[in-house]
Amino acid sequence: MSDSEAPVVLIVEDEPDVAETYRLWLEDHYDVRMAENGDEGLEKLDSSVDVVLLDRMMPGLSGDEVLEHIREGDLDCRVAMVTAVEPDFDILEMGFDAYLSKPIKSDQLEDTVVNLLERSEYDSLLQEYYSLVEKQATLEATKSRAELAESEEYDDLKAEIASLREELSETLGGIEDDEDFIATIRGLSDADEN
Amino acid sequence: MYDLSTVLDVDAVSSVEPGSSILVTGPAMTGKEELLTQILADGAAAGDGAVGVTTGGRAEDLIADIEGRVADVDSEALCAIDCRADSNRDELELDGGAYVHRVAAPSDMTGIGIAITKCFDRLHDAGLDRGRLGLTNLSTMVTYADRQTVFKFCHVLSSRLDAAAFLGVFTIDSSAHDQQTLQVIKQAFDGVIEIEERDGVREARAMGIEPDPSDWVEL
Repeated sequence: MSDSEAPVVLIVEDEPDVAETYRLWLEDHYDVRMAENGDEGLEKLDSSVDVVLLDRMMPGLSGDEVLEHIREGDLDCRVAMVTAVEPDFDILEMGFDAYLSKPIKSDQLEDTVVNLLERSEYDSLLQEYYSLVEKQATLEATKSRAELAESEEYDDLKAEIASLREELSETLGGIEDDEDFIATIRGLSDADEN
Repeated sequence: MYDLSTVLDVDAVSSVEPGSSILVTGPAMTGKEELLTQILADGAAAGDGAVGVTTGGRAEDLIADIEGRVADVDSEALCAIDCRADSNRDELELDGGAYVHRVAAPSDMTGIGIAITKCFDRLHDAGLDRGRLGLTNLSTMVTYADRQTVFKFCHVLSSRLDAAAFLGVFTIDSSAHDQQTLQVIKQAFDGVIEIEERDGVREARAMGIEPDPSDWVEL
C-alpha cells in the first residue's frame, strides 16, 4: 500500500453504468480510478495502484490480455477478475488473485477488495519474516555461541522474529479459503520466476 | 489433539495441537519416511483422513503402504499426491476408493496446492474433521525451487492446515543442506523431530513443541 493515503483501486470496465456503481460503492474508503477499456486500463496502471477490478469481456484488449501485461511487468498489484461465469480452481493459475461473478453485490465487492489488501499485507510480512530468519541463520552460522549470547543485535532480531510470527498468524485472514490459498501459492511461484 | 507418541514415545508429542506443522529432520537413510508413513497410518487407524505428498515414490505405493499397515482401513479417507518430475497432472480414484493426484514437478507449487485443496475438500465432504498431511521430502523441493520459495510454501501451507485443524508432518534430509538452510526451513514450522543414528541405533527427540527439547528415545 502506498503511504498513509487510501488504497488505490482501478476499475477497468467498459459499461459506464456498471463502472459507476462500483465507484459509488468504493469511493468512501478508497481512491478510485476508472478506465473504459483495456488500453486505458494499462495507461492508468502504475505502482500506486493496489487493486485492479478487471472486466474479463471487453471490446479491444480483453481482461485476459490486460492481466497478461500486468503479470509480465513488475507491478505487484492485486487483480480481481470480473467474470460472467464462476471459474474452477485451475483457472486461478491464469494469474488473477480473485474473481467475482456478475452480477456483483456491494458487500461482495468491498469484501473482495479488503481481502486482497490483507493478502498483500500477508505477502509483504512473509517476505520480511523470511529476510529476518535468513539474517538469524547467517548470524548463527558465523558467530560462536558465546558471541551470540552477548550480542544485542541477535537478541533484538529474535524478538523481532517472534513478534512478526505473531503478526503473520493474525494476518491469516488473507488466506482463509481455498481460492486465497491457491492464489497465494501461485504468487510464490511467480516471484520465483522473476 | 493429535497423538504422535505411538511413533515417538515422549510426552511432548502426545497431544499436538490441531493445525501444527512438524518438521522431521535427519541424515539420509535414518527412517524419516518410515516415521512419516507410520504417522499417517496411525492417523488412518484412528479415523483421521490422510494426505500423503511424495516427491520420490509413486502415490499408489504410498497408499498401498498405509493400507498394509492398518486393519480394516477406510481407503476413501486416503489421498496421495505424486509430484515427481516425470508425471503429468491428473487425478484418479483407485479401486477401494483412495484418491491419487499427479503434479508435473516438485517445483509446481501451484499444482501441489490445488491437489492438496482438492484432497482436503474430499476429506471434508466425507465428513472428516481430522486429518494428517505428510510431505516427503522438502529436500527435493529445495533442489527444484529454492529455499525462500519452499520456506514460504511451508508457511502458507501451515496456515491452510491451521484453518482445517489438520496436522502437518514434513521431512527434510539434513545431510543434503548446509546448516543455514536447515535453520531457515525450521523456522517455518511449529516443532521439529530430530533423528540421529548412533552406533547403529536410531534415536529421536522432539523440539519446539514444548519449551525444552525432549530426551532422546530409541525409535
